[in-house]
Amino acid sequence: MTMRRIVVVGNGIAGLTACDSLRSAGFDGELTVVGAERHHPYSRPALSKALLHGVDGHGDEGLQAHQLPEPTHEATELLGVSVSGLDIDARVVRLDGGDELPYDGLVIASGSRAKRLAPTEGAREPRDDGSARELTLRTIEDAITLRQRVAGRPSVIVVGGGPLGMEVASGCLQAGCDVTLVSDAQPLSRQLGGHLSGIFTTAAVRRGLRVVGGGKARLIDSGAGTRVALADGTQLEADLVVTAIGDEPNIGWLAGSNLLVDGSLRVDTRGRLRPEIVAAGDVAFFPTSRGVQRVPLWTSAIDQAKVAAVGLLHGDAAPELDFQPYFWTEGFGLSLKSVGFTPVAGAPDYCEQGKDPESMLLRWENRDGSGTAAAVNYRIPIPKLRRLAGIGPGALRPAAPVNA
Amino acid sequence: MRIELDRPRCEGHGLCEEAAPKLMHLDDDGELIIDVPEVDGADLDAAKAAVRVCPVAALRLAAA
Repeated sequence: MTMRRIVVVGNGIAGLTACDSLRSAGFDGELTVVGAERHHPYSRPALSKALLHGVDGHGDEGLQAHQLPEPTHEATELLGVSVSGLDIDARVVRLDGGDELPYDGLVIASGSRAKRLAPTEGAREPRDDGSARELTLRTIEDAITLRQRVAGRPSVIVVGGGPLGMEVASGCLQAGCDVTLVSDAQPLSRQLGGHLSGIFTTAAVRRGLRVVGGGKARLIDSGAGTRVALADGTQLEADLVVTAIGDEPNIGWLAGSNLLVDGSLRVDTRGRLRPEIVAAGDVAFFPTSRGVQRVPLWTSAIDQAKVAAVGLLHGDAAPELDFQPYFWTEGFGLSLKSVGFTPVAGAPDYCEQGKDPESMLLRWENRDGSGTAAAVNYRIPIPKLRRLAGIGPGALRPAAPVNA
Repeated sequence: MRIELDRPRCEGHGLCEEAAPKLMHLDDDGELIIDVPEVDGADLDAAKAAVRVCPVAALRLAAA
């Protein structure tokens, strides 16, 4: 059928990209985008990477890095509006408050939210002095709250040794806080592998980060601060606890929709769940060369949304997603950019030293024949880094040095 | 439309070059060079994609 009305649920980078891509692909019908947040789309990666780093007085640049240009897709934007349900037979999205949005085509880009240690809503209520027991970093409001709290140089416990936890820890350290990072495994090892994890952990510890293992963490409320209890009996206390223990997809509104398989949203290689429904971004599981997975990262959301928009309009004639991971993180004086799947096993098979001791270009040959390339404090265009990952050191120069 | 670069914000990811290789590239030092600043037609779509993909919003499109 002809698509005259398309509804996009979610107004993050996936929703924005879907709207733009629908317009670029020629859709000139009625476009409505519904966003639970009150803001135009912004750059979530910039929140942890720049916002916290602005705390030490380097002007207000840190408060702007997340701002994206104004949308140009001319969709009707319903901001600060939550969705509550979907009826795929009647083809309507239900909004909080009871209104319904009919659609011919639907893009599900409702994203994900931060997981929490505190299990119930009640436990998240602020204490008598108004301070939250557990902060996290997902939204611009989270970032502003965190920035305000960190400015007072509290002692901080960060729970979670992934990229977000490490970026928050780095920002807090730079702001002059005493910081303890709770991480079961060596920080970043699950995401990046032992080698890159070692480089970051060494830099972090040298800059004063205390890293504590000890098993599953839980929160204990105490008078002055918040205590974190670990499975091995260790108890830690600090003025501020920030958790960065992963994200979970916003699929509650899809509970009765018949779209979920084993509790998750799984799209095909063109982002489709049904001919008239696609999904993209942090909410979706999608096929990659390493199996069906959710990849809640910036370029993943953009690449998925582009494919899904065209998949919605053109069906089987649309191109399939050929997902090539791109990831970056920074902290503790290090900046990492990587292409190809991670974590990578063992030491790199290629290493080129950059201008200073911490600057290097690395490549791993993976067991499945693919390559992963990483630049640490090494400025290199992503297309070049992709060539290095894809075809090896020959991408850089005819006879590249190989150091095991 | 005209592609404008806020150079201090640029972190050298080069995702824009990937989206619009005919319009811009990073040089050997990782500095972004806008090769075709004035865009219209098919180039405009590529320019929009380049602006959108930048995670630090270092690029924008302004009326020429």
